[in-house]
Amino acid sequence: MNLLRIELHKIIPYRTVWVILAIYAMLMLLILYTSSKVTINGQEVGNEMYRLPGFWQVLTYTSSFFNLLFGILIIVLITDEFTYRTFRQQVIDGLSRADLVLAKFYVTLGLATLSTLFLLLLGLYFGLLHTSSPSAAVIIGKMDALAYYFVQAVGYMSLALLFGILIKKSGLAIIAFIAYAQVIEPLIHLRLPDSIDKYMPVKVLKSLTPMPGQSLLDELTTPTQLLTPPNAAIYSIGYIMLLLLLSYLILKMRDL
Amino acid sequence: MTEVLNIDNLSKHYGSILAVDRLSLQVAPGSIYGILGPNGSGKTTTLGMVLDVVRPSSGTYTWFGQHTGKEIKRRIGALLETPNFYPYLTARKNLQIVADIKGANSKSILQMLNMVGLEQRKHTTFKGFSLGMKQRLAVAAAMLNNPEVLVLDEPTNGLDPEGIAEVRELILKIAAEGKTIILASHLLDEVEKVCTHVAVLQRGQLRADGRVDNILSARDQFVISADDIPGLVTVLQAIPFVESFQPERDTVHVTLQEGYDGRELNRAMFEAGITLSQLTLHRKSLEAQFLEIVKNRTP
Repeated sequence: MNLLRIELHKIIPYRTVWVILAIYAMLMLLILYTSSKVTINGQEVGNEMYRLPGFWQVLTYTSSFFNLLFGILIIVLITDEFTYRTFRQQVIDGLSRADLVLAKFYVTLGLATLSTLFLLLLGLYFGLLHTSSPSAAVIIGKMDALAYYFVQAVGYMSLALLFGILIKKSGLAIIAFIAYAQVIEPLIHLRLPDSIDKYMPVKVLKSLTPMPGQSLLDELTTPTQLLTPPNAAIYSIGYIMLLLLLSYLILKMRDL
Repeated sequence: MTEVLNIDNLSKHYGSILAVDRLSLQVAPGSIYGILGPNGSGKTTTLGMVLDVVRPSSGTYTWFGQHTGKEIKRRIGALLETPNFYPYLTARKNLQIVADIKGANSKSILQMLNMVGLEQRKHTTFKGFSLGMKQRLAVAAAMLNNPEVLVLDEPTNGLDPEGIAEVRELILKIAAEGKTIILASHLLDEVEKVCTHVAVLQRGQLRADGRVDNILSARDQFVISADDIPGLVTVLQAIPFVESFQPERDTVHVTLQEGYDGRELNRAMFEAGITLSQLTLHRKSLEAQFLEIVKNRTP
């Protein structure tokens, strides 16, 4: 846990981290507040949206859009280490290259825990306010969505970790990360049959927080094939380990 | 006694460029070992390799007779090229991170800040430091775990004369505690003033190594002249104790072998029937010495 302590020394006084976290929290609140007054999937949302247990899925689906923000934060933290040459100094001072990757992985676990707890609080607050007869079964009903969200957040941040270590320059790494997650992989999805592309990393991660009411949509249009969240979680954990391994190998092959 | 650092046939290629070429050298405990060479001669690359941040293309090195690792690194304090810290953190916080990595006692942070004269500035962020202060903070960080060896790469680079004097004084103070110091520099003068041993690098190759007083012993040069310069040159060629000479327009620069001085030269000339119109002792400039080492010596 020495590695985590070292990371906390770096992060806690770092304003950029707090600014990005504040942006995330504010945007989440803003969306939850305003979207209750709009319609999604042809349904009037209103109080309906906040009703537990379905609200857990709404929450994690909404929050999944901000995984890119957490990814950017990880990229900033990693490329800083290259810019300040502190990765280099820390290896000189005694850390191994595996320690460098592991330390940043601890940060992604920490950030994912933080945002999952934030969603838990939001869910309990808005949910209990709008659910007429909240029993334990209702509250806990679809709470596993939070666990899938946690895996998803770690997954996106691990992808960002690889981009940060591979590219080293913050601007370029952020662009490449967003381009891959939002443009390149979706374009590949168009070319490949669903039965194959459902195993691709970004699609696997997206399957962890399916859109609420997806089944309804599937009845109206051609259904898209997605892994179920439990299956996606297994593949995601595999991808996370692969991403960390690749990051480690890149550090090992290169001069610092 | 085990060498502190043993470098064996270490090479590094960057594409087609050979930055370090089959370098071998040994650093004995307690020495202040200078690695001297012009910019781009492979000093930093060499230190980068032995500090585990640059992958050697071939060759090996050992510290205290062992391969490097966490335990070995704790016995080494090093600063490579630039002071590397988080600009937004204070001096104390930056050292705290280094202390956590090295497993050093937190109490030593204040001691080290004190040693480098930064105790008043411990709450200043690193980005607010002058270059000299940054360099001193890096020395403090390198000293945190009370290491047995201190590796310093161009520690006075970019400093003003006052800063240079401060850092040199600090190095000598640390050396007086019996620590081994490895110092890379392109300044001959610095190596001569501070080091006990020196290795001279040029284009990645070792040109000379040994005790500073042997390698850099400024063998003095004589400037002589006579009416008949061509005759003078012929005579010089015949004198056995003349190591080298270089005719200029109406003078000749002569270097004698060790143990000979102006009297012998004058006598030999007189015996050959040449009367010198000038015989002056000329201290060789440091640059001239360096060029001579690089030109004459091969590994």
